[in-house]
Amino acid sequence: MMIKCVIWDLDNTMLSGVYLESGSQPPPPDPAMVSVAAELADRGILHAIASRNPQEAAEYAEKATGLQFAAVECGWDRKSDAVSRIVADLAMAPDAVAFVDDDLYERAEVSFRVPEALVLSPEDMADAVGWAEFSPPVVTDEARRRGEMYAERRLRQEEARAFGGSRDEFLRYCGTRVSIGPATPGDVPRLHELSVRTHQFNSAGRGMTEAELAALTGSPAHRVATVRLHDRFGDDGLVGGSVVETAGDAWTVSLLMMSCRAMGRGVIEALLAWLARSAAQAGAATLAVPCLASPRNVPLRLALAGSGFRAAEGGTPDQPAAVFTRALDGPLPELPEWATAV
Amino acid sequence: MRRDGGPEIIAELREILTEATGRAELAGVGEQVPLFGAGVGLDSLTGTLLLREVHRRFGVDVAGEDLNLDALATLGTLAAFIEERTA
Repeated sequence: MMIKCVIWDLDNTMLSGVYLESGSQPPPPDPAMVSVAAELADRGILHAIASRNPQEAAEYAEKATGLQFAAVECGWDRKSDAVSRIVADLAMAPDAVAFVDDDLYERAEVSFRVPEALVLSPEDMADAVGWAEFSPPVVTDEARRRGEMYAERRLRQEEARAFGGSRDEFLRYCGTRVSIGPATPGDVPRLHELSVRTHQFNSAGRGMTEAELAALTGSPAHRVATVRLHDRFGDDGLVGGSVVETAGDAWTVSLLMMSCRAMGRGVIEALLAWLARSAAQAGAATLAVPCLASPRNVPLRLALAGSGFRAAEGGTPDQPAAVFTRALDGPLPELPEWATAV
Repeated sequence: MRRDGGPEIIAELREILTEATGRAELAGVGEQVPLFGAGVGLDSLTGTLLLREVHRRFGVDVAGEDLNLDALATLGTLAAFIEERTA
């Protein structure tokens, strides 16, 4: 399993000392850990903090290490609870995170309560750059900017908590812009990466190779679309895509995918509305999304239900395949005002 | 069996919905108001939080049993779905 986020302890792990026992001068960062973390960040792996310290310790660590942290949990409850909250907040599977702590008890506690997580000591971490779990096969520009985008996400979430209005009001306030357009050959590596990395928003339940995607991008019987997202907090780049077979009067979406980072930002609804409108405009009578239903892609099923799709059968453990379909003769979902087709 | 779900379940669902959306005004949302679309505007994010909390508090795995998530039509239908499985 590829690790997407490393959750760091601070005292005697990311820092060379104990924050609260170091008087006026906080301990400097551990140079070996910082250099490993920086290398992993370059590969698109995120970092987070789980520390028994006041919040200021995380702020200090962020400044002193120059690293960007996607999530921060400072407090005195169980480390396993902090790890679980980070996993939920980042919408990741527990087996996609690593936890690094110098304390044997903390490692045992996290191993026991979050058995899927990869639990490591700082000594293990020192040569982690060579491990397969930390070596993604493709590293795109989006991946290299991932740490920065998650740091922007933290700011956006802080504002959202203070905002109070509806989601749509918040999206307008943020200046959200979703642009949907045809994929070009240059988009293929990122589309491939999304197809293998996405789980909560992946209809096919499998990845597509670059060769497959390149062939589909040039195929007259298919349409491959990309979705890009930005707002005043930052540019998230290419966050989603779709592959559609356009033969006949039934359009079939063979792959629908979106990065979970874009969840709650009106992106998947915009893509589904655009697909329905494009299909109707081309004269199709129905739009179908075959979907391998699993506990992991419930968010995708929520989006399909919200956009008027229904499946006649499937979705059971022995028959997970289900075809979600909607007719295109009635009223179609509106393309949200923040979305444009290019 | 009552089809509209008990008032206690509805009250608890309103509390969960308010928490999931961060919108205090939904504390008074009617049990016939559609959850998807205008009004409540349930989306993937808030829907996931709602389902997770329903599973935790009532032990009912709505997504595991209801492929089309019809139970999420309104708070009334969701309460009835929960009540049928917990009665």
